[in-house]
Amino acid sequence: MRVAAVGDIHMGADSQGLLRPAFETLDDCADLLLLAGDLTRHGTPAEAEVVAREVRDLPVPVVAVLGNHDHHDERPEEVTAILQDAGVTVLEGTATVVECAGARVGIAGTKGFGGGFVGRSAGEFGEPVMKEFVRTTRRSADSLCAALKDLDGQDCAARIALTHFSPVADTLAGEPPEIHPFLGSYLLAEAIDTAGADLAIHGHAHLGSEHGMTAGGVRVRNVAQPVIRRAFNVYHLGGEG
Amino acid sequence: MSDPVAPREGTGGNVEYRVAHLHDRLAAEELGELGVRAEIRAGAIAVTGTVPSAQCRETLLRVVREELTGLTVHTDIVVAATTGPDHAEEL
Repeated sequence: MRVAAVGDIHMGADSQGLLRPAFETLDDCADLLLLAGDLTRHGTPAEAEVVAREVRDLPVPVVAVLGNHDHHDERPEEVTAILQDAGVTVLEGTATVVECAGARVGIAGTKGFGGGFVGRSAGEFGEPVMKEFVRTTRRSADSLCAALKDLDGQDCAARIALTHFSPVADTLAGEPPEIHPFLGSYLLAEAIDTAGADLAIHGHAHLGSEHGMTAGGVRVRNVAQPVIRRAFNVYHLGGEG
Repeated sequence: MSDPVAPREGTGGNVEYRVAHLHDRLAAEELGELGVRAEIRAGAIAVTGTVPSAQCRETLLRVVREELTGLTVHTDIVVAATTGPDHAEEL
């Protein structure tokens, strides 16, 4: 199975057509495209329309999660609807199965949120806004775990966890450690390890690095466009290419 | 970008807050930019990162010039590459 992925494409009015030429070649090298959030700059419907035109009628299925930028205008439902209208499957605490080179690939996705990593993480304690911060991440992680478990029994040859925020600190290498709590949470990794997955894809950390692994051994890839320095990267799963 | 020019009146001399205000402005205005780094290094400001388009780069450099007037600024802003990969990773 050939999985293409990119995040943090941050499209705006001046972005139309930048990625489309590369995306139109996807069927040469991939069976599906994953978009790891921050598809827009401010989460406006107008920016979502730019993304929609960029990915409409591509030769492979497109599965996405939103990122924090896609929430900035506080209209994530509209952004989601515009992307769905262009044929994109948008996940938020949900899963989908894609037929991929004769096999079934399950993708469970959520935006995720921050909080940090073991030993240096925020706790669900104190002021209501602090508790809500951590609970937001916990709810997201719980929904990811449930969505991955939903894929059990659906005859998937591989399962992928797709998030915007990072499940591990490994792929934040290059980012200032002080901001790690705003870049991801171990709760996402715990969810992935609890439910099981073959690959975890995320974005968000522009200054981070591509490769990491959860404590449970699931490989993690940060596909933020500034990190991979391409329109997308391709990962072969299942050993058959 | 490296030549110091006269500081704006009323900005004071506190470089740290001016760098913080630059970050605020990059996030709040048209760029919505959170991924660019501005750091004080050896008396100068280094502004580094990757932006999604050439127009974003121009806008960013203009904002940097406006916010950091009078300071020595070094910039290294890359426009994100948009070509496909030449190989895949086998997992």
